[in-house]
This record gives sequence, C-alpha cells and structure tokens, in this order.
Amino acid sequence: MGLLYGLIAVGLALIFGLMDVTNFAHGEFLMIAMYLSFFLFAFFAIDPLLSAPLVAAALFIFGAVVYLLIVRFAMRAKANAGMVQIFTTFGLAIVMRGLAQFFFTPDYRSIPHSWLGGKTISIAGIFLPEPQLVGALVSILAFVGLYFFIHRTDFGRALEATREDPGAVALVGIDKNRVFAFGWGLGAALVGLAGAIMASFFYIYPDVGASFALIAYVTVALGGFGSVFGAFAGGIIVGLVEATTALVLPPSLKSVGIYAVYLLVVFIRPRGLFGSI
Amino acid sequence: MDKEFAARRRRDLIIAAVLAGIAALTPLFVKDVVVQNILILTLMYAGLSQSWNILSGYCGQISLGHALYFGLGAYTTELLFTKFGVLPWFGMLAGGVVSALIAMGLGYPFFRLRGHYFVIATIVIAEIGLLLFHNWDWAGAAMGITIPIRGDSWLKFQFLRTKLPYFYFALALCCLAWFVTWWLEDSKWGFWWRAVKDNPDAAESLGVDVFNSKMGAAAVSAFLVAVGGSFYAQFVSYIDPESVMGFQFSLLMALPAVLGGIGTLWGPVLGAAILIPLTELTRFKFGGSGRGVDLIVYGTLIVLISLALPRGLLSLFSRPKKTGAAR
Amino acid sequence: MTITRRDVLLGATATAALVPLAARAQTSEVVIGVIYPFSGGSAQQGVDAQKAYETALEVINKNTDFDLPLAKGEGLPGLGGAKIRLVFADHQADPQKGRAEAERLITQEKVCAIIGTYQSAVAVTVSQICERYQVPFVSADNSSPSLHRRGLKYYFRAAPHDEMYSAAMFDFFDAMKKKGTKIETLSLFHEDTIFGTDSGNAQAKIAGERGYKIVTDIKYRANSPSLSAEVQQLKSANADVLMPSSYTTDGILLVKTMAELGYKPNAIVAQDAGFSEKALYDAVGDKLEGVISRGTFSLDLAQKRPMVGKINDMFKARSGKDFNDLTSRQFMGLIILADAINRAKSIDGEKIRDALAATDIPGERTIMPWKRVKFDEMGQNNDADPVLLQYVGGKFVTIFPPQAAIAEAIWPMK
Repeated sequence: MGLLYGLIAVGLALIFGLMDVTNFAHGEFLMIAMYLSFFLFAFFAIDPLLSAPLVAAALFIFGAVVYLLIVRFAMRAKANAGMVQIFTTFGLAIVMRGLAQFFFTPDYRSIPHSWLGGKTISIAGIFLPEPQLVGALVSILAFVGLYFFIHRTDFGRALEATREDPGAVALVGIDKNRVFAFGWGLGAALVGLAGAIMASFFYIYPDVGASFALIAYVTVALGGFGSVFGAFAGGIIVGLVEATTALVLPPSLKSVGIYAVYLLVVFIRPRGLFGSI
Repeated sequence: MDKEFAARRRRDLIIAAVLAGIAALTPLFVKDVVVQNILILTLMYAGLSQSWNILSGYCGQISLGHALYFGLGAYTTELLFTKFGVLPWFGMLAGGVVSALIAMGLGYPFFRLRGHYFVIATIVIAEIGLLLFHNWDWAGAAMGITIPIRGDSWLKFQFLRTKLPYFYFALALCCLAWFVTWWLEDSKWGFWWRAVKDNPDAAESLGVDVFNSKMGAAAVSAFLVAVGGSFYAQFVSYIDPESVMGFQFSLLMALPAVLGGIGTLWGPVLGAAILIPLTELTRFKFGGSGRGVDLIVYGTLIVLISLALPRGLLSLFSRPKKTGAAR
Repeated sequence: MTITRRDVLLGATATAALVPLAARAQTSEVVIGVIYPFSGGSAQQGVDAQKAYETALEVINKNTDFDLPLAKGEGLPGLGGAKIRLVFADHQADPQKGRAEAERLITQEKVCAIIGTYQSAVAVTVSQICERYQVPFVSADNSSPSLHRRGLKYYFRAAPHDEMYSAAMFDFFDAMKKKGTKIETLSLFHEDTIFGTDSGNAQAKIAGERGYKIVTDIKYRANSPSLSAEVQQLKSANADVLMPSSYTTDGILLVKTMAELGYKPNAIVAQDAGFSEKALYDAVGDKLEGVISRGTFSLDLAQKRPMVGKINDMFKARSGKDFNDLTSRQFMGLIILADAINRAKSIDGEKIRDALAATDIPGERTIMPWKRVKFDEMGQNNDADPVLLQYVGGKFVTIFPPQAAIAEAIWPMK
C-alpha cells in the first residue's frame, strides 16, 4: 500500500515539489483516471492493466491542458501567488467533482473482474494481493524512470532551472510554458497510471480522490519538496506507519500516526527528509 | 504620509461604524427567516475570516487548520454546558482561552516551518483533532452533542424561532474581529508584520520580537475563531466532529478573505458578503437536482475570481496609487 | 455593509421567485419537503431516494389499484382530491445545511411536513427545526436509535432502528444455536460515524447480555483509502461471525480486501447500509455468496403480496434498480405520511401530527414484512419487524424470522 501511496504522490511531487505549484485538484486527477479506466473496461472490455498506458496518455494531455488554460495564469499572479494557486486548484477540484457527478452520476462503480482484482499470491503464509504487487512494481519503475529523467536528461535540467529562475532560462531559449506544461502532463500521467491500477481494486465515485489527496500531500512533504526520491521514501514510510499504528491504536485513528510522524519529521528537519526547497 | 495614514484609519473607522449601524437595522426590514439565516452566516463567516486574516493575511502564516480552533470552541462550550451545566457565555470564554493556549503551544514549533510545510502542518493538526474527537467517547464521539432546548433564554443563549439574538451576536463578533484587526494594523505588531512580509530578512534583525508577535497573532486569531465556534454550536444546537472540525471549515474561513482581498481590512467582509449568499442561493436553486450543478457553478466562480483578481475583489475599488492596507 | 443589504434584497426576490404561486393556494396542493444529500459522497443515496419518492407520488396522485393507503383514486380524498407536490432540498450531509434547508422549506416553500434524511446527524438538526415550527418530520430511513429517544413530539419513524435490527440478528443466532450451529465468537467491524458507532454499541450490548464473546471490535475511519490493517486483525481473530456496519464504499473495499488477504469467515451478518446496495453486489457480489444482511424489505414478499412486485417494477422503470432496504423505506414513509395528512383533512402541522400519532395500518397494506404501523409515544413504530436476508444465487432470500422466511439459512456461507 505504501508504494501505491508513493505512486500517487510521485505525480504530485513532480507538480508540487519540482515546479513549486500547489495542486489541490490532485485527488480529482486520480478520480478522472479511475473513471477513464472504468469506462474503457465497461465499453471496450479493456483490462485496467492494458488501458493504463492509454489512461496515462489521456491524463498527460489533460494535465497539460489544465496547465495551459488555468494554472499558467495562476502562476502569473503578481500578488499572493501561493493563495491564488491554492484556491484556483481548489475551485478546479470542486468543478471536476461537480462535472463527474453531472456526467457519470454519483453511482458507485467498480470493475468486477480484472486480471488483477482479488488475486493473491501467498508466500510463506504472507498474502500479497496482486494489484498491490503490480502497483508496487509500477511505482518502483516510475520512480526510477522519473529519477533518471529529472537528473539525466536535458528536459529534467530545464525543468529544475525553470523553477529556479524563469527569467534566466528564457535567455537561453527555453520556453517556460512548454517546459511546465510538459511537467504537468507528466505529473498527471503518473497519477493516471496510479488511477488505472487502483481502478482494478478500488471503488470509483466522484468524491473518491478526497481520501487520497491529503495522504499524498503529506507523503510529498514528508519526503521533502523537490526530491523525487523523497516522495518515494515518504510513500513507504506512510504505508509502514499506517500499518503499525493500526496495531497499536484503534484503526479509526490510524491516520493520526501518519500525521504525527509528519509533524515530528518537519519539526526536526523543517524541509522534510530529503527536501531541497 | 503619517497624516494620510491617520486620516485613512479614521475614515475606515467611520465607514465601519456606519455599516455596522445599517446592518444592525436590517432586521427591521428583513423579516424572512431564511434571509436572516443567510445574514447570520454571512456575518459569522466575515468575523471568522477576519480572524483568520490576522494570522494568515497580516502575519503571512497561511493556516488551513483553523477548523481546529472552531471545533475546540464549539466543543469546550457544549461539553461544559451539557456535562457541568456551565452557561455557554462562560464556555465561550473558556473555549477561546483553550484555543488561544493551544495555538501558542503549536506556534512554538510551527513558526519555524515555511511555505507548504507550514500549510500542510496546519491541515494535519486539524485533522488529528478531528480524529481524536471522533473517537473520544466521553465527548460523544461520532454521535456529537445535542444541545437540549428548553425555550428562549438569554442566559443559555438559545432561542426557538427568533433569530435576532443570533443575528446581533454574529454582528458583534464580526465588528469585534474587524476592530481588533483595525487596531492591530496601527500597532507595533502591525508594523513588524508588514516589515517581515516585505522583506523576510528584516525579520532576522527583529528576531525574538517578531516571533512573539506571531504567537500573539495566533492566539488572538484562535480566540476569535473559537468564539465563532461556540456561537455556531449554539446556533445550530447540534455539533458533531465532522460538522465543526472538518477541513471544509478551514477553507470556508479562508475563502472570503482570499476572494475579498487577503491581508486587508475590508477583504474578509466583502468576500463573505458575496460568497456566503452565493453558496446558499446556488444550493437553493440547483441543489435539489442531484447532478452537482451547484458545485460546478460555485467552483467555476472561485477559479475565475482567484485568477482574474489575485489581490481579491477589493482591488477593484482601490485606485491605481496603492493605498490601504495592501502597502 | 451596503452590499450585504443589496444581496439580501436580491436574495429575497430570488427565493420568492422560486415559490410557485400554487404553493400559496390553500389545499388544492399539499407540499411536502424532502431533504437528502444530492451532492457529495452520498449523492447516490439522494438520487435513489428521489426516485423512490417519485414512485410513491405516482401511487398517491394517480389512480392505481394497489391495496395501499391512498393508492386508489387520485390525490387525497380527505382534502378534496388535493395532489401532493414534493420539494427536494440538498443538505450535503452537513447538519447546519440540513437545518437551514428545513427552515427554508417550512417558511418559504410552506411545506406541511418534511421527510428525510439518510444521514442520522442531519436528522438531528432537521427534526429539531421541525419541532420548533411544529411541523411533522418523518424519519424514513435513519436507523440511529438515539433519534427517537430525544422525546420530540413531531418525530416519527415507521421503520426499525439499529437496536431492533441487532436484536433480530441475535434472535437468529440463538435460533441457529438451538439447531446445533456453533456460534460463540463475534467480530464487530463498524465505521466511525453515527451509524456505525450506534450499531456497534447496540451489538456489543446485546452480545454481552446474551453471552456471545466479542473477540474483536474494530472501529474504522469511514472512506479510508485502505482497510488492509483492519482486515488483518479480523483475520487473525477469526470469529465465528463477522458483523460489519459499513456504507457502500467501505463495504466494497472490505470485501475486496478480505478476498485479497484470503480471509473467509464462516458467516457475515451485515448491518444493512452498504450491504443492501446494488452497487456493492455489482462490484463484489461473486465474493459474497451467502452473506446475510438485515433488512426491512424483501422482494420475496412479492410471492405472497403481488403488489410488491408491481410497485417494484414502477420503481425500476424510473431508477433501473430494484427496491432495496433504503428505497422501500422511503417509499413507505411517504405513503404513511400522506395517509396521515389525508386523515387530518388539513395541512396544519399539529393536526397532521395527531393523525400520524393515531396511525394504525396493518402490515398487509404496506410493501414491508411488518406487523403493522403504529407509533409509540416517542414516535417509533415498534411493530416494524426486521428480516434477515441471505444473498443466494444473485438475489436476496428471506431466512428469518420463521413467519417471513421462505428458505433455510445456508451456514456456513460458501
């Protein structure tokens, strides 16, 4: 589970951390991805695992469009940039939920039979549910891929440079909007991947994103903004802490453990575990 | 400059007094309880948002966890009332003091955090509070607390049908929050905060003093919000953790200030006056459809306003020459 | 605050414009307020409820030949054939909004009664407002026992509450034990809002009284992103019976997680809610063969009472779903309320209240397996016998109590 939180968080880490833009609609991106995956299954009988690349591609476009149409202007705000971003994306989240309810109806949906759903591998008495296992695998791959992407490619460097000093990169001929639109697309695509995998074992309804969004924010912040590895580590820690807390405290309090660990970490290291900003 | 500043402050005070006077007279013309209900909520959110604005707007410490203080105020009042028979008026004070103390206790480690780290820490702490109350059997856990209704009573601050006492209390709260803000603007603290906001490094030289002033701001802000929470509990006469400590309250407190103009004297009032009636009316009109139209309308407006007017609606009124608290 | 004032005027005219002229006319039309969540996490229940009420409306306002109160003839004969009109309002699961909506419906839409609300927390504030304005509130589908115990004069609930449901479950256990089935240990699994807390408390109390051992009592956070840790605990406790009290979302996740972690209890006896929702069985029905849920409604009844099937078809035509535990209670709630208004021959709140208090409808004239509808002084109908249903071969079969049962319970479940 921790790795899945990680996968949801890594897309956010890219947007939130690397570009320093608050995205309060992240949970809704996840929701859209899950719906897409569901409809691909319902109408074309494409298994969520197969449709994952399709969903990711669709979300890439969606993320880039959201950036170009909305977030770009939010970032341009001269005053209160932080607040403008928070509330623009928050408003966007509400609109997306409303639209989902309008078009998809508030019915709970889920994919009854998929390649992964409900299957379990048992090793030495420990049950490893397949969806989670595949999710973990995909998230590790995504992390490694993203890590190399950010640190080894020109684009990754461009992204980082753009965040640090948009004016300077403009001088060397990098278009800030193109770089960031691509970054948003990539972040959304990663959530799309997470959504497709989750669709095979989770229920889907317009408000589904909300349960995950806060955990994703905490995960990113725990690992530290600006660090892909941090988000990955944060995801694992969150998963472990959640499982342990549930053993010690009543399960209804299990999130308290996650939150407490976050507070503890930032009190000691105000920039999270591996944060650079 | 100083003269101009003083003149503006005097003008603000006069405008406020006139508006408060007009507001105080509205119940003479507005007899409809539904409209009165909207007015009460508007005034309450204006007051809450004004209080939030002290810490988050003026001090620049953006908190999305003020629901914690709101809930603490509501719970302290009602627990004292239902378990120990303490009258809500005292409970209100107690709730305010408890919240202020907690705000200061939290401020100590929290103010070292910056930016997103601080925002998330505030969300998280409110969420912890919510979960604890949700599981605290003595405080009613999920069942919440129903305030026994015995009939109209000023002593117990409960009224069956008339909304006027609630209206005047909300108005008083709103005025108090406004006045505190007004007063702080010209205080030593106010100057420090402005200095810190313009130039974080200046904060270093002021050091301890600024830190203490931030603690003060947190305490004042929490106190006022807690009083608002007590009021809300008496007004609704039923509380449960979700309905007084949920994350949506933190946002609802921030929204009016953000829409009206964050860190300004008039922003929260203006924001609340537009936002609250709007949310109520969209729900009346579209809410019964079950198709989420009210959400779409509401969300679109938030996006548009925050994009088009990053300084808030108030910036529409200010002249090109920057005057007012935005300095 | 000039702007506030202008808004007030705007608001006043806008809301006034919403009230159709007909609403002000006397008794040619009877207006009833319906308060549900139409947006947010439980919007689905609101939308389904709307369909159920519209079905009831059709039965009342049009001429049908069912043996239900008011089915025959058009409208309310007691009020000269007046028709009922419903006004729907959205409370978004927020007690404060529920309160405001109730007040708006009463003062502006001039409703003569209110029915609702799905969430128990909202029922608390809505019923308080109704009490203050002396307008009857029919709690169609709230099952929290604390609701009627507040001693409100204008509160009525025709359906059973959770303690009655839980008692029925334990009656069933007792009966099974007599037949030699081993039932000693129980695992309680309930969510942390009013519904789950109330239900968990009731079950723990009755289990203690009747000598069942509760090996785990897990309270979990509603809408959790994961229930793995919780299911792990259930699995290691491995009680004879698992008793979940969950809404749809958590129910789906619970069943999926159980399958993933390889936990298969001997029996699941569920406290309705999610476990009577079509969505849950669409999602995980194959893993739930033999699950038992309490209920107030069963389509089996159509075998004995054909009108149940016909009314169900009417509902299905609107919603694409069969009646379930919630929608049937909503349907019945409106019929009972309309019957009282008809007998009151008035839309005056107090007269309707008195008529409701005097209600006495035999079970055969409902679509429910109840003995009859008669309210006690708290406004609770104690003759609403719950039933236990078992999910077998893709549909529900009544297995308890014996007088309503059409099949023996399959135990352990497959």
